[in-house]
Amino acid sequence: MNFWLGIRHLDRRIIFLLMALGVAVPLLLKIGLPVRVTRDVSSVYDYIENLKEADVVLISYDHDTGTLPEMVPMSTAILRHLFLKNLKLVGMALRAEGNAIGRQAFKRVGDEFGKADGTDYVFLGYRPELTATILGLGTSIERVFPKDDRGVPVAEIPLMQNIHNYGDIALVISVSDDDTPVYWINYGNARYQVKVAPAVTAVMATTFFPFLNSSQIVGMIAGLKGAAEYERLIKRQGMASRGMDAQSIAHLVVIGFILAGNLAYFATRKRGM
Amino acid sequence: MRRSFPIIVCFVFGMAMLIQFFVPSKLSRVAYDEITNWAQIIYAFALIVGVFGLLKYHSEKVVRKSGGWFFNLVTIASLIIMAVLGFAYGRGDSSPFMWIFNYMQAPMQASVFSLLAFFVASAAFRGFTARNAEAVLLLLSAVFIMFGIASVGNAIPPFSDIANWILMKPSMTARRGIFIGIGLGTIATSLRVILGVERTYLGKG
Repeated sequence: MNFWLGIRHLDRRIIFLLMALGVAVPLLLKIGLPVRVTRDVSSVYDYIENLKEADVVLISYDHDTGTLPEMVPMSTAILRHLFLKNLKLVGMALRAEGNAIGRQAFKRVGDEFGKADGTDYVFLGYRPELTATILGLGTSIERVFPKDDRGVPVAEIPLMQNIHNYGDIALVISVSDDDTPVYWINYGNARYQVKVAPAVTAVMATTFFPFLNSSQIVGMIAGLKGAAEYERLIKRQGMASRGMDAQSIAHLVVIGFILAGNLAYFATRKRGM
Repeated sequence: MRRSFPIIVCFVFGMAMLIQFFVPSKLSRVAYDEITNWAQIIYAFALIVGVFGLLKYHSEKVVRKSGGWFFNLVTIASLIIMAVLGFAYGRGDSSPFMWIFNYMQAPMQASVFSLLAFFVASAAFRGFTARNAEAVLLLLSAVFIMFGIASVGNAIPPFSDIANWILMKPSMTARRGIFIGIGLGTIATSLRVILGVERTYLGKG
């Protein structure tokens, strides 16, 4: 068979194999490709850097388990920065699965920094119906979350004594794999002027560029690349920096396939094959 | 009455929420708090209805032994097992519920999502062909974005700049247009629903 015709009809199993190698080899070899920090990510970092000790940041886990490999490095890097700055954290979830993901992330990173549940951070739990929840937090957090995720009344949690609504929150970070941050912007920021920073999957990034451009959000962390940039900013390389090698090589593999596909297309078209 | 009562409820609450936004007062704030509370309660009940609907749908498939009925059975079993474990042992970090969540549900869902990389590679190979002018534009955008975002290309200014330009100009312009369209559509549809012109949400009958 003609070489180019063979390329055009390449068995998909070969494509899958090359892609698997493109992902696996960089993870094993730890190449350490450079990561350039973008303004979108550094804006979030700078905003947090300028917060005062004991300021309150609300993190909402608005994603499912399907996107964990992309979201966990991101939320871990953000949590590390927040705990390093000795900020007070309030966690919640607008997705049922996000509840378990967020609670575990708070505990894991909180333990790393010796932070205590109830005084340094609190995880409030999951609430359905995101519009009503986001609007409700604007008047009273305790009304929306009478108890935290452990079942402790919010009124009895030391950290929550001075946190009543968005007026007491310096920043909302929505860790999301869909357009939930748009609701935080539309209802939290537009109505209550609370600052919002989306931390989203790469595929969702373009949704938030208009909000970034109009300064309706303080910045954006998008995808594994955003997480790797954040790790670089906090000077703690982790899962994202390692994953970026694999992602970059995978992108190059896809570009290689596109080029090969086109070369084969033109070579065979000329010959009428 | 079956059709007019929901329309009246929709009109009253729709107008109440609309008016309270523009008329700040103690009364409007109380109404706003109560209505947002109710919305959450109604949604919680809708979840219960959804669970029963799910059970009914899959049970019927199992009883009829229709194609792939075993997977319907797995769905029912998973739902019941997780609910029973959650109620019996709680959702603590070392509970059986969390064990299944961490070591079965999360890896399985993440694996399914990860398969996208392979299908994207295969689809890009076969689909991104420069057959016409539109396809060339799509192809070039994809290549520049992917290369410009990847670590290697991101370190080379022309590529990262071109990728950034595509994202911040043509892509964002299109996205803004979509957002404006969605906004106008939402306002028009909301008014139609509140005023009782749009009634498809009531279903048939």
